[in-house]
Amino acid sequence: MSDLHAAPEAAVLPSPMSGPRVLEIRFTGSGSEYFRIWAVNLLLILVTLGLYLPFAKARRIRYFYANTLVDGQALSFHGDAWKMFRGFLLLVLLMGAYTFAGKVSATAALVAFLILCGVWPALWRASLQFRLGNTSWRGLRMRFDGALKDAYLACAPLYLPLMVFMAWSALMAPATDTDRAAVQAYGITSLLVMGVVLLLSPLSFALFKRYQHNGYRIAGQQAQLDLSNGRVYLLGLKLLGVTLASALVAVLVLGLLVGGLFIATGFKPDTSAPLTQVGFYAIGLLVYLLVFAVVLPFGAARMQNLAWNGTRSQALGFRSSLKFRSLFGLTLKNWLLTALTLSLYRPFAAVATARLRLEAVQIDSREDPADWVAASLAGHADATGDIAGDFFGIDMGL
Amino acid sequence: MMSAPRLAADWFDGRSARARPVEVWLDGGALHFGDQTAPLHSLTWPERQRHGQRQVLLPGGGLLSFADADAFDAWAQASGRSDSAVVRWQQSWRLALLSLVLLVAGLLGAYRWGLPWAVDRVVDLLPRAAEQRLGEHLLSGLDGEWLKPSRLAAEQQQAWRLRWATALSRARGNGGPAVPERFEIHFRDGGKALGPNAFALPGGDIVITDELLKLLSDEPDAVLTVLAHELGHVQHRHGLRLMLRAGAIGVVASVVVGDFSALLAAAPTLLASNAYSRDNEREADRYARTLARAGGVDASRMAVFFERVAKKRGATVERHPVAIAISSHPADEERVRFFSEP
Repeated sequence: MSDLHAAPEAAVLPSPMSGPRVLEIRFTGSGSEYFRIWAVNLLLILVTLGLYLPFAKARRIRYFYANTLVDGQALSFHGDAWKMFRGFLLLVLLMGAYTFAGKVSATAALVAFLILCGVWPALWRASLQFRLGNTSWRGLRMRFDGALKDAYLACAPLYLPLMVFMAWSALMAPATDTDRAAVQAYGITSLLVMGVVLLLSPLSFALFKRYQHNGYRIAGQQAQLDLSNGRVYLLGLKLLGVTLASALVAVLVLGLLVGGLFIATGFKPDTSAPLTQVGFYAIGLLVYLLVFAVVLPFGAARMQNLAWNGTRSQALGFRSSLKFRSLFGLTLKNWLLTALTLSLYRPFAAVATARLRLEAVQIDSREDPADWVAASLAGHADATGDIAGDFFGIDMGL
Repeated sequence: MMSAPRLAADWFDGRSARARPVEVWLDGGALHFGDQTAPLHSLTWPERQRHGQRQVLLPGGGLLSFADADAFDAWAQASGRSDSAVVRWQQSWRLALLSLVLLVAGLLGAYRWGLPWAVDRVVDLLPRAAEQRLGEHLLSGLDGEWLKPSRLAAEQQQAWRLRWATALSRARGNGGPAVPERFEIHFRDGGKALGPNAFALPGGDIVITDELLKLLSDEPDAVLTVLAHELGHVQHRHGLRLMLRAGAIGVVASVVVGDFSALLAAAPTLLASNAYSRDNEREADRYARTLARAGGVDASRMAVFFERVAKKRGATVERHPVAIAISSHPADEERVRFFSEP
């Protein structure tokens, strides 16, 4: 695109290079600019009593998309904020009814929980359809082609035990705490269900990711995720190990530090004094936060790599090399500064995290994407039933 | 006539992924690009920012992409496009910081005036039956966690109920304040956690602990004034107001603080709802004094209650600066003076 006056007609130029190439992802957002967008958005949300929320969200998505360059071309968001407003109202009504039911009676809470579980997979699918369907790159719309049935199948291993347990506990919960045997049985069953859910959560994660990634489409490209349950379970084990190890290290280091301080100063704390107990609570809280500061970025980095390294389409292959160490350092810095600035640092943290996570991904392409044409022209036209998703503009996440 | 300013762009038609270099210009309420035209109202125009690509979204799914953001902004301005107010605020540090200041001021104002107003409207709308169910739900929750059945002998409970009923009927005879349609006294063992205590739940359930009755076994007038104070909370539906306020503050806090930490979001809720209940306490005190006087109860005996509770808590309070900070009751001396006023 050198001299436009020399090429007045919209001539279709031959692509400069065809054949295998790497599509780099760059994120050009700036924390200080997003800070100002965030500040004005928050004020507008307050002035409109929250009704501006979907419009603020659309602006935020546009900002992040305009700054996400894939092979030099930014993503674009075509979502209509008014449609997102309808979806927002629907979600508010749903969550409001759910919260209210919880306060009225146990039976109402149970019914509301079951209804929510029943519609959630459909809402999840609708939100994926809306987000993908309103995202374009090089003028080509993305699509989400996951079937409704598969959304329910992906959610089943996590939802079914929870639904059964909630129903069981609403019906069988001991009326008083005098019946010891009943209380004990209730406690044991709760623990058992928690264990089952914990054991099933890697499977659920694999099912969620497979459902999401297998539904991604752009032009004639259909994404496919090669992710075995075994690898996710292996990651789950590592996560457990990291949790235990970081807890142990945090306790040891803090214990040595506090103990050393006592020995050095010759101070003997009175273990029954309330102040000492407050001190113990504070140390416990610190251990808890430290463990989370290690485990969350570890899990996030490994899961991103696992999910994207296994994703490919006819012409594309994804590579994600997000390092735990980088994400850990960033998380620590973000938390610290967010706490110190009373959450004024949040927009800076959001931009820095997006940059790190996005720029860790590379795309290998065997074709020149400029040769692609929209799916309807390529003969992949299929009018998926995303009318509900698009009508309500349901958009969760991000 | 001067020709409209022109700018180079990449045109994606929404069908082919190939960029077509075009020239764009504005003329006669339409955007011209290459040999195409699109009316201005059908376009989605990008907001001016320092970073990122500028894209004009075309009807039908195509778009014009501008790699050079500064050039686009200069061209848009030269073509007579002006920024929206939101963009002007976003691009100015001064106005962005002003919006943060306005945000804080707005939150404070909403908290001071808007929230009480909204809560009052909701309380007026909410049927008593729903409030009562909420109270029952809370009481059964408390019974599982904090409260045990009372260890007070049945005849003692009966004696307290009789004293209370007598005072109430005397107050009614003397034209005392209106009493709620429904209220009920529950005797419970508060254990170590609650100690000497009395509180009113939404819907009219009033709980009084064995420990409090023991502490004031020789001061029936103080007990009756405490009960009258709790009845004041019921009459003014303070419990419901408190829950609504805490809920609303929690929602706002989670929007502002975000998902960063549930811990941070919970703190303002706790502090704010406690600060609020100071006004409620005063209102309940006024109600209690009026009711007690009409019912022939000596409200000034409350001085004994404050003194004994303070002594009981004394040791812990001195070593617990936190306990004073989060206390929901106005200073004791102030209340003693109030109840002893002639």
